Amino acid sequence: MTSPALSRLAENLRAAPRRLRDTMLRSGKPDSDRTRSAFVFGNVFLHLHPARVHRWSLRPAATMGLGIITLAAFLVATVTGILLMVYYKPYPESAYTSIKDIHFVVPTGRFIRNAHRWSANLMVVGVLLHMARVFYTAAYRAPREFNWVIGMLLMAVTLGLSFTGYLLPWDQLAYWAVTIGANIAQSPREVTDSLGITRWFDPGGLQKELLLGSDQVGAEALIRFYLLHIMVLPLALVLLLAVHFWRVRKDGGIARPADADQRLGPVSAHPLFTQPQQKTWSLAALVKGRTPVVGKGPENTLPSMPHLLYAEGAALMLAAFASVGLAVLADAPLKELANPAVPENPAKAPWYFLGLQELVSYSAFMGGIGIPTIVILGLGLIPFLDREKEGTGLWFGGPGGARLVGTSAAFGLAAVVGIELVAIRFGWIREWWPGAPQLLITAINPGTVLAAAYGLFSAWLVRRHQSTRAGALGLFTCFAVGFVVLTIVGVHFRGPNWQFYWSHSDWPLH
Amino acid sequence: MRFYKHLLLWSSLGTLAVLGWAAFAENVLSDWRRAQTEARSRLPAAEAADFTVELRQIVIPELGITDRCTSCHLGMAPGERGVAGDKLLAPHPPVVHDPGSFGCTTCHAGQGRATAAADAHGNVEHWPEPMLPRKYLYASCGACHTHLAVPNMALLEQGRAALERNDCLACHRVDGRGGTARPGGAGGLEGLDLSRAGARGVRADWLEHHRRQHAAATDGPWRSAFGELGADDRQAIEAFLSSRVGAPGLVEAKALFHSLGCRGCHAVGGVGGADGPDLTRVAQKGPNERSFAGVRGEHTMANWFKEHFRAPARVTPGSLMPELRLTEEQIDELTFYLFSLRRTAVPDAFHPRDRVRAEKLGEREFAVDGATLFGTFCAACHGPDGQGMRYPGLPPFPAIASPDFLELASDELISETVKRGRTGRRMPGWGEQEGGLRPAEIEAVVRHVRLLGGGVQPVSDGRPRRWARGDALEGGRIYGAQCASCHGAHGQGAEGPMLANAVLLRTASDSYLAGTIARGRRGTSMAGFATPAPARPALSGGEIESVVTYLRTWEKSQ
Amino acid sequence: MSEARSRLDPEPLPRRDALGLFARWSAFATSIFATLGLLKLVKPGVLPSPSKRFRVTLPESLAPGEPFVVPGRPVVLVRDAAGVCAVSRVCTHLGCIVQPNASGFECPCHGSRFAADGSVLKGPAPKPLRWLALSSLGGGTFVIDESASVAPGTKVKG
Repeated sequence: MTSPALSRLAENLRAAPRRLRDTMLRSGKPDSDRTRSAFVFGNVFLHLHPARVHRWSLRPAATMGLGIITLAAFLVATVTGILLMVYYKPYPESAYTSIKDIHFVVPTGRFIRNAHRWSANLMVVGVLLHMARVFYTAAYRAPREFNWVIGMLLMAVTLGLSFTGYLLPWDQLAYWAVTIGANIAQSPREVTDSLGITRWFDPGGLQKELLLGSDQVGAEALIRFYLLHIMVLPLALVLLLAVHFWRVRKDGGIARPADADQRLGPVSAHPLFTQPQQKTWSLAALVKGRTPVVGKGPENTLPSMPHLLYAEGAALMLAAFASVGLAVLADAPLKELANPAVPENPAKAPWYFLGLQELVSYSAFMGGIGIPTIVILGLGLIPFLDREKEGTGLWFGGPGGARLVGTSAAFGLAAVVGIELVAIRFGWIREWWPGAPQLLITAINPGTVLAAAYGLFSAWLVRRHQSTRAGALGLFTCFAVGFVVLTIVGVHFRGPNWQFYWSHSDWPLH
Repeated sequence: MRFYKHLLLWSSLGTLAVLGWAAFAENVLSDWRRAQTEARSRLPAAEAADFTVELRQIVIPELGITDRCTSCHLGMAPGERGVAGDKLLAPHPPVVHDPGSFGCTTCHAGQGRATAAADAHGNVEHWPEPMLPRKYLYASCGACHTHLAVPNMALLEQGRAALERNDCLACHRVDGRGGTARPGGAGGLEGLDLSRAGARGVRADWLEHHRRQHAAATDGPWRSAFGELGADDRQAIEAFLSSRVGAPGLVEAKALFHSLGCRGCHAVGGVGGADGPDLTRVAQKGPNERSFAGVRGEHTMANWFKEHFRAPARVTPGSLMPELRLTEEQIDELTFYLFSLRRTAVPDAFHPRDRVRAEKLGEREFAVDGATLFGTFCAACHGPDGQGMRYPGLPPFPAIASPDFLELASDELISETVKRGRTGRRMPGWGEQEGGLRPAEIEAVVRHVRLLGGGVQPVSDGRPRRWARGDALEGGRIYGAQCASCHGAHGQGAEGPMLANAVLLRTASDSYLAGTIARGRRGTSMAGFATPAPARPALSGGEIESVVTYLRTWEKSQ
Repeated sequence: MSEARSRLDPEPLPRRDALGLFARWSAFATSIFATLGLLKLVKPGVLPSPSKRFRVTLPESLAPGEPFVVPGRPVVLVRDAAGVCAVSRVCTHLGCIVQPNASGFECPCHGSRFAADGSVLKGPAPKPLRWLALSSLGGGTFVIDESASVAPGTKVKG
């Protein structure tokens, strides 16, 4: 005879699996707007998303998913990176052989190493394209100025992650690329030396010493780069990402034009609101009053679950597909073991720095410090200089529009190709006047000339269109084209001794 | 949203396909897996059941070796018996050094850590040490055995000939030849296998031992097959046997190197000339560190070396090395020798005896008899018989075995010239500075040079070293008319040797100078000026004395 | 579209979303496959330690019955009239290396004692020391295989 308590116990035990499922997924089947909102709102992994998202933001052309793609690349890189850490040994005498072992004997090692390398490259490309998208849709404007700054920091950390990872295989490619990089970090000496103040004020030397832990790339540098690469920079990145995503929410989601509703046309989703809203979909509404829905209609939002989640999932999977697809098609490079006695010639920095290296070949300071500072300052100032309203959320929005961008691209291309032609064909100052003081060359070199040309063009645009945005469109486009062309020159047309060669097969063998 | 659903679907399927392919490629298609599954099918059933398909490697931490060759070459793993004749299961041929103790790449080079065939064999970009071609395999002895003392070819040949002539091969096996197989003999042979006698050492009283056995024997080979041996033959045989270390090809190649005078310009192991690059570790540079711009044919190190021998200036632009007009056979042997110039850094415990003796006790890696020394250091410039050499495009090198020269030159002149060289000229100093020779060795060279000239000893005319008191001005006039065209207007040398040379003038006596002018040197462009010629009258003794006096004026100005 | 409905009500059953279903399931399958596949990395494909088979040459001066500790390996060789045997020096308790003593072996970790033939004299070792497979190459040289055991008492001439 079973007591009531015992039979209750048995019943509870039988019901336990169903109860487990119910307590795990408390919001219920997501088939109404309320349950869908609760699904997103009440889930620890998903609640960073808004419960509802504007239809404009969901269009592929709005963002092209570039931010998510970059994030996905980072996630792939992190997962593969952690796996690689199981076998990689960060000491000069074992780093190279541990990579060889990963390639040849570790199960899935070759695939994972390749995926890591390709997803890292994808992340750098993604971050640059994402920045371009945000710029061209003027999504940096109020209230999103600070998020733009955070984005720039994220770009810097991404490049830092890529650069610190570059050294770890300890092969000829890695060793000499970092040697170059460290010497670029030391390039303020070009200025302090010409001024004669290096003895008291040597930021260049300090930077290099902090990077390398020594005066040469060696075991100290490897450990520091490893530490930066696996711990410090990823933590910094995650921190900044948290701020960045939070800011996207706070700033009202993806930037869209003021007349987005008109542009979208009628809603086809089920069903429209038939009652006025009594609740809002965002906590922030209580404070700011700025939500998609309060006091407004017609309804132009869709529930994040499933629409936004499908979009994000697709972008994530696309990035994963690109990473693994490239991983089986192309091996990550690994040259000979690093040999401090045998410099690579040419010794090239990673591809995203080759544009800078091209400029560094004319002036170490300008290419290494000067131009990057100008670029960073310029980028950072954009949201504070352009406080116009026209064209926010639209591609190439602003006075001039796509046509202006086209013209700027053409001008930028002509300028960079022109200056490169001159420098390659005729040399630069030292060839014409051997006694020229270094400061003169620091001040007047292809990098500064190009920057000045772009700046003047941009100023002209500002005047012509009476708009800062027009100038910004022009300047950004010029620099983007310049960056691409200089990178291409650095990758394909520079050979031993940084001489110009039309093709790799023309290189003289050492 | 359909767009995103499609994107998600197709990206997912694509990713799944790629992952599936990667898994398949790694677990089924990899070289070593296929090799092992194929080999397993050829194993006898009992062994096949025990056989697991897994990576295999030889690990020797002291040498930094992790060789995975045995993942495909299954029969060669230490302790394996293997299946003879099978491509993958064949055991390693019997060799002196157990692959289990030294790994595979120590001798074969290649990329031991690789598990794909092409990468492992090393003929890939960015691997500096491709596998040595099979015929040059014994060159890797030179990675550790750096200082095998080897004589020149002539002596080697003499020893080999003596061995054969005296019928030693009737009982003894040497390098796979000879020896009579007989049950009950040592190792199945009548006599000892002498192929590694040099490594093991030959007892000093071997001949006395043979004689004793011969005297004591009543029948059999000891009675009938052993005969007496002359002292010369004994020496030659001993020299030959001490070079038998189980790598006959390498020893011969090194002997050839010690016959062609290469060390006259190239230092190896710290001894040799400085005109050409140091060759001590020449085999350490791989094909990716060498320019193949001037090399016809494949881009391998073997071909690079050979092409370099055929036409140095084409392969290394700006090279001063003349075309030596070697036969293809010689080029092949020298290439073999160059491959042995590796001198890998190994822990001290692994240093073989010859290296320890050389590096710590100063023993030489060439025989120190005059003939070998001459062949090693002098023959390339002065000719194998000291007759001088004429390379196209280069001024000729003097004939030092000329009897005319040897009669007039004292031993001191020759040895001083060797020791100090001729400053400002192509003859480097060979004294005991870096790369030089020891005094005893120089003396041996001098003796050999005399031998080459036919055993000519210097003839003294009894005069003091400096006796010339002629008219320097007159001498200068004669010099300008008769000598300057070959010896240079200021004695700086042209077709003829440099006369205004500190070393020459310090070591040469007046008799030497006067005698050379008077007699000339047969076989060279130096005519005897004491005898008349169609283009000029003879010089009298006084005129010659004046010329000598003039020559001496250059001495003071130095 | 029903006017009376609100968005708080469940949607009417839509037509089957095959595309969405396939998309979700293929994404899920890919994630599972990827995770399982990636986890394969952690198990080493090949152990990095030196081979368990090695050669050893006994010094001629070795007294019969005297244990010869192989340098660098946890193995001891003993030669006597009957032949040569190889005994493992890995304690069968928890793997410490035992040292030879006057009566056999003793383990420094937990005090196990073994006789000269490896049998347990005092615990906590549960089993006797392993005898290892041994083969002779002649001339006092032997090949020992640490991964292969033989019955205690097996000796090899050589």
